[in-house]
Amino acid sequence: MKQFQKEFDAFLEHFSEENPALRDLRLKAFNKFKEIGFPNKKWEEWQFTDFSLIKNSNFRLSWNSELSTIPKNIPGRIQNTYLILIVNGHYQPRLSHLPNEVSVEEGIKYFKSNPEVYSIDNSSNPFLSLNTSMMNSALPIYIKNNIIIEKPLQVIHLTTDLSDKLMNHPRFNFHIGENSEATIIEHYIGSTSTSYFTNTVSKINLEKNARLNHIRLQEEDRASNHIADTSYTLDRESQLEATSISSGSKLFRHNIKLSLNNEGASARINGLSLTMKNQHHDQHIVVDHASDSCQSHQLFKYILSDRSSGVFNGKVIVRKKTKQTNADQSNKNLLLSPNALMNSNPQLEIYADDVKCSHGSTTGQIDSEALFYLRSRGISKQKAMELIVSGFAKDIIDHIKNIDIKSYVSNHAFTWLEGSMKNV
Amino acid sequence: MLEIKNLHAGVDGKEILKGIDLTIKPGELHAIMGRNGSGKSTLANIITGRENYEVTSGTIEFNGENILDMLPEVRALEGIFMSFQYPVVIPGVNNTYFLRAALNSKLKHRGLKEVNAADFMRLIREKLKLVEMDEKYLSRAVNDGFSGGEKKKNEILQMLTLEPQLSILDETDSGLDIDALKIVAQGVNNFRNSERSFLAITHYQRLLDHMKPDFIHVLIDGKIVKSGGMSLAHELEQKGYSWLEA
Repeated sequence: MKQFQKEFDAFLEHFSEENPALRDLRLKAFNKFKEIGFPNKKWEEWQFTDFSLIKNSNFRLSWNSELSTIPKNIPGRIQNTYLILIVNGHYQPRLSHLPNEVSVEEGIKYFKSNPEVYSIDNSSNPFLSLNTSMMNSALPIYIKNNIIIEKPLQVIHLTTDLSDKLMNHPRFNFHIGENSEATIIEHYIGSTSTSYFTNTVSKINLEKNARLNHIRLQEEDRASNHIADTSYTLDRESQLEATSISSGSKLFRHNIKLSLNNEGASARINGLSLTMKNQHHDQHIVVDHASDSCQSHQLFKYILSDRSSGVFNGKVIVRKKTKQTNADQSNKNLLLSPNALMNSNPQLEIYADDVKCSHGSTTGQIDSEALFYLRSRGISKQKAMELIVSGFAKDIIDHIKNIDIKSYVSNHAFTWLEGSMKNV
Repeated sequence: MLEIKNLHAGVDGKEILKGIDLTIKPGELHAIMGRNGSGKSTLANIITGRENYEVTSGTIEFNGENILDMLPEVRALEGIFMSFQYPVVIPGVNNTYFLRAALNSKLKHRGLKEVNAADFMRLIREKLKLVEMDEKYLSRAVNDGFSGGEKKKNEILQMLTLEPQLSILDETDSGLDIDALKIVAQGVNNFRNSERSFLAITHYQRLLDHMKPDFIHVLIDGKIVKSGGMSLAHELEQKGYSWLEA
């Protein structure tokens, strides 16, 4: 905790010109973080994950002045997309290309005039408070009403070439105005052998009849820690298609909150987690049906090899007096090694009558019947396993509509697969 | 082509096959009949190399080579094929992609050029007609959402595509209606020639009526107790198996 205090003090000093309201917020948030402390095994919602590495690693903040050269070829670049580039926490406007309809300034203005998006009042998540106290990276993206942006917007948060153990606290805010439509790729990439800590928060807001495809790609270096809090708020008749593909980090914890706040909102949230070696991926999803005629669909898949481990904790809440709710939740896991471990806990909390809900969870190994079937056709064991495992992941990838993103994700997943299968 | 000598085998320490001798020559179609549990499917699984089966003694040679130490995929590449009694559903693996991967694996093994997607589509459309399958089954996942009959047709489609030397038909007639049975039998009959051999495993005479096997063997308690021609199948249909039991 001492290290975080030291970094926080340095941060306040460095940004002493910052507006007083924001400064107050940071102080309040840091105090709350200190008060809550790091999660321990006794916290029900956090019990399967050990955060001591983050607590004890003495991560420090990254300063703009120490940014070394930026790689010529930006890794992870997806074809036919706009780009927002952030390197080691620092936004690179000159290397970014934004569509005319997207304004970072508008976003900052919106951010300042809507302080509720900063609110930490109802949260007991210490990492959200920590992020709020030191948010130093990322930016708001504001899309006005009645705008359709055809080409996807790729936000790359790159961590590269570190000489020191750094931490960043990116804060994204994606606002999609009434009747507007966009595809946003939130992409975390790391290429460095030095340990680092990304503690990111994304607030995503869909106004009436807005449509968003949100693709979240977590490809941090395996020496890193990635903690994320993503919250979606959906207004009337808005539609969200969210896909989260995660293969990076030694420790990954992702809290997702979906609030269906007005009639007719609908969302699909899919996730694919790919882990190997000693990686640990822990995802907690809360879907809150707070209004009538809303739909939510969740499909989370994990493929775990070596000694890696995963946690899925999904909760669907259907509030009192809501009508015509349609919600389903499914978690399917494939263990590629006898030493891999999965902990799955799907839950429903239903306080209304007019609901159609389902949930389920399965964990298994490669089907030996399927393996023999393929081999009996002359396909090698290695190739047969690759086919079966990629078949397992296929429906998640198929839900991605944009062809360039789909092809990127599909290649990425396949490369991962080839790497992980070598050890099976 | 296939020569099985004094084969003893089982699973989990339990002996199922108790001394099988069987020789299949090129161009021949042999049928094995017998009750459930007599060891018919065990024999098929051992020839194709399914794990967990244990051969305690005896040999199986295919084209003069001992195959017992070969991996299942190597046996397949050498020309052995089995139409499964219960074809396996493989979610997310496209049927066409699978078929092409299997064919290319075989072509590569023979030192031939692999077939590209367009040429393969032309080839597979021709084969589909032979088993009267709808093209929609090509775009689905392997056996996913196929009816019992379509699954069996898909097995025969694979056989026609991979052109094995030895085809084992493990209860290919089970779960088929009369029309589908005819189509499947027709598919096999058209595929027969003087080079290709078949081992059909069945409970019933009706498949054999369509296929006209050269030899019929009756398997009881892990042993072939009687061999004969088509008349043996008729006799079994009338009298059952009990008259052959010791």
